[in-house]
Amino acid sequence: MRIARFTARRLLQAVPVLLGVVVVTFVLVRVLPGDPIRTILGPNATEADAAAARARYGLDQPMWQQFVDYLGGLFTGDLGVSIQSGQSVMGEMAVRLGPTLELVVIAVTIATVLATVLGIWSARRAGRAGDHTLRVLALVGNSLPEFWLGLVLILVVYSGLGWVPAPSGRVDPDTNLSLITGADLLDAVLTGNGPAFASAAGHLVLPVATMVVVIVAPLMRSVRASALEVLGSEAYRAAAAHGLPERTLLRGYLARAALVRLPALAALVFGFAIGSTVLVEYVFSWQGFGQWALRGLLFRDYPVVQASVVVIALCYTLIFLIADVVHAVLDPRVRI
Amino acid sequence: MTLLDIRDLKVAIGSVQALAGVDLTVARGEVVGLVGESGGGKSMIARSVVGLLPDGARATGQVLFEDRDVLTMDAATLAAHRGAGAAICFQNPRGALSPTRVIGRQLTDRLVTHQGMDASQARSAAVGLFESVGIRSAARRFGSYPHELSGGQAQRVMISLATGCAPGLLIADEPTTGLDVTLTREILLRFREAADEEGRGVLLISHDLASIARICDRLVVLNAGAIVEHGPTTAILTTPAAPYTRTLLAAVPTLPSPHPAESGESAGSADPARPAGAGVSAESGDPAQPAGSAVSGDEVVRVEDAHVVYGSRFGAGGHHALRGVSLTVRAGETVGVVGESGSGKSTLARLMLGMITPSRGAVTLAGREPSRLRGRALRALRRRAQLVFQDPIGSLSPRRTVADAVAEPLRAAGVKAPERARRVAAVLERMGLDGTYAERRPHELSGGQAQRVGIARALAGEPDLIVFDEPTSALDVTVQAQILKVIGEVTAERGRGSVFISHDLATVRGFCDRVVVLYLGRIVEEGPVEEVFARPRHPYTMALLAAVPSLDGEEETGRVRLTKDPEEAAAGGGCALAPRCPFAEDACRTEEQELRTLGRARVACRRAGALPDLEGPER
Repeated sequence: MRIARFTARRLLQAVPVLLGVVVVTFVLVRVLPGDPIRTILGPNATEADAAAARARYGLDQPMWQQFVDYLGGLFTGDLGVSIQSGQSVMGEMAVRLGPTLELVVIAVTIATVLATVLGIWSARRAGRAGDHTLRVLALVGNSLPEFWLGLVLILVVYSGLGWVPAPSGRVDPDTNLSLITGADLLDAVLTGNGPAFASAAGHLVLPVATMVVVIVAPLMRSVRASALEVLGSEAYRAAAAHGLPERTLLRGYLARAALVRLPALAALVFGFAIGSTVLVEYVFSWQGFGQWALRGLLFRDYPVVQASVVVIALCYTLIFLIADVVHAVLDPRVRI
Repeated sequence: MTLLDIRDLKVAIGSVQALAGVDLTVARGEVVGLVGESGGGKSMIARSVVGLLPDGARATGQVLFEDRDVLTMDAATLAAHRGAGAAICFQNPRGALSPTRVIGRQLTDRLVTHQGMDASQARSAAVGLFESVGIRSAARRFGSYPHELSGGQAQRVMISLATGCAPGLLIADEPTTGLDVTLTREILLRFREAADEEGRGVLLISHDLASIARICDRLVVLNAGAIVEHGPTTAILTTPAAPYTRTLLAAVPTLPSPHPAESGESAGSADPARPAGAGVSAESGDPAQPAGSAVSGDEVVRVEDAHVVYGSRFGAGGHHALRGVSLTVRAGETVGVVGESGSGKSTLARLMLGMITPSRGAVTLAGREPSRLRGRALRALRRRAQLVFQDPIGSLSPRRTVADAVAEPLRAAGVKAPERARRVAAVLERMGLDGTYAERRPHELSGGQAQRVGIARALAGEPDLIVFDEPTSALDVTVQAQILKVIGEVTAERGRGSVFISHDLATVRGFCDRVVVLYLGRIVEEGPVEEVFARPRHPYTMALLAAVPSLDGEEETGRVRLTKDPEEAAAGGGCALAPRCPFAEDACRTEEQELRTLGRARVACRRAGALPDLEGPER
């Protein structure tokens, strides 16, 4: 009940935040040098052609009028038309967002679980060889550029070992997967398409692995630091002094207390990953949200840039809401 | 066979000899008190018994537990010994309870591990155990987290955790530090029960000889890692052999110790703990003096009918911390505020400092109302009042030097650097801290030194009002005496008003002019300190006085004892104390009690002055 009320309040608070984001992006993208109309016209286009194109996309109107139109569209779910492709932004984004979200959600989930297990393992062996090895490995993984790591993985796991399908696309077209959400794995489950599921999962292995290696280090460090703090705390030592067995200590007195700080950091990592999957998408020909947003920005495709920024902001808002609720569930002292 | 037999235990950490040859025995059914100042090695003994010495500690000698040496046990034997053999009841129960696990589960973990119960057995046993240590509505409390408990309840839970291990030996490390007098007595009785009824050996560790003496069979006095004296409790209390023991005994603040300035006056009322003789006749003999007019300096702070409600974050409910308190402090006056935990003492302090706004009523500090001021003016006003905190080390920033900390109020007041340095040096000097302390950081200070720094910081800005919030309850008894002396000097100055908050009545008596007794956010009695202590008229004051530990070691009959916990006494109509009061009548439960003048004091009890003879039966 309390959580429902908290969620409702936070969602209401998100409305002005998103509105602010819309205003700022709307203005910024128009202030930036560059003209979207010039990019779609040929080199021989006349000034009259440009004016006609401008009128077609409503760019000849005064800025406030454009904004009011855009805002009106936003409330009816119309995000405008891409200047580059002439397609509906909503339709393009629906195809693009699913695959990227799937990639990021799976990668962050695996990284969080891995960070929890390894972080606690590492903290319990603090100062020993295993702890040092793990921390160095995590740091190395964190320091590798995604695109390079992705290429190396393709070279070794696909070309060398042949364990995974080729890094071209997200699912084998022969499996006839029908598109529902855009997230292929989810669509395969929803349609009960076994072969498509296997194919999509196979294609996910390398990009997910790349992202996990890159983002697991900060999460693990956080868990390890919290776990060390708990291990040194009076409360934990008191439980140990009362002779409780290792398993009880680990499950009841260490794990939950050590995870208290993880949700906030995981949310940050998640939000960061949404906007920065573009390199991984390029390497694995993922055709995802990151690539689409980047291309929109490069060609000053106003509706695309606006839509992608709003979606990223929305993702941040939602994921931090989830993180706060999880934090409150983990730590009974937090009141939401 | 003795349960615990420590022979010539020496512990060294690096080059520091923490324990230098300690011999100690505890038998089943026996309560042994281990007394000494902090840093004396008491906790080191406790930790060696469960094999949890700090890293880098080297121990020699023997710690025989049922004839097996703990120091040489292998990991598996040691794991079995911890909890089932010896279980520690930790100091600071709030810190020692795991914050992310409900207390019921923490107890069932122990029951399952050491008593081999299954989950459902353990659950019902846990509820029973909670009840036996005095936790009300134990079944509901089962699902509580430690931060939802009061200090007294947390200590009870800690005891239940230790006894839930079914240990042969129960070690209690400072089990009553920071608890108020009524709770201290209650908690200590639990340990006596553990020895008498469950046949456990109990090792009770404390710096406070007075509070534990009456339940111990034997006492062991430890100083600087060595035992200076041991023997039966009465022998040590009556004929202490070692000079150190005599120092400890002398440091105990006891109620009959007279007010330094008024020794002649209070000598007449020989024993304030037994107020039976002081009836109406003695009152009328007093020079008729209106309450609280001993000092006639300027008014420093005035609290008028203040109510404070701490709302819960989601509207409904809330905690009514103060319910209509009026209090005036004048320059040159020291007012003592006493009451159990949860009576609203700290709220009153925060109110006077302008840190919270009353939900009803008004506060005037140095002639202005903090609730009407904003920004710069409010900050300037707040500088007129300073606070001395309960936790001396915790209230100093670990990263700043002593000089920095003391200069803080001056910096806030915009005093220039050279002037600041001069005043800091002067105020530190006054606190008996020489120049070498100025560059130290809090971890290099002892508790007593840190509290001197805290007082210096409060004094530096030359405020009109200093509030001492239990300044000595975290300190050793011997240090307490020194700090109280310093505070006595500070409060004796004419130009300033002081408020001294304490649950320890003996300390208040030392130097306060007036005393205010708070109970559940209401003033139940106020008046000149010698009057209230010599002739307490409210049953609550009587009970507080009766609960003060004394060294005679005997349970006196005829003392007033409150029957239940404050949290249990749900506020219905009428007098808030009625559910706990041994004198309550039906009328008490329906009539609101107002403060009325009785002699030189004011009391909120309709039966005050006409209470039955205290030699009568309790309860």
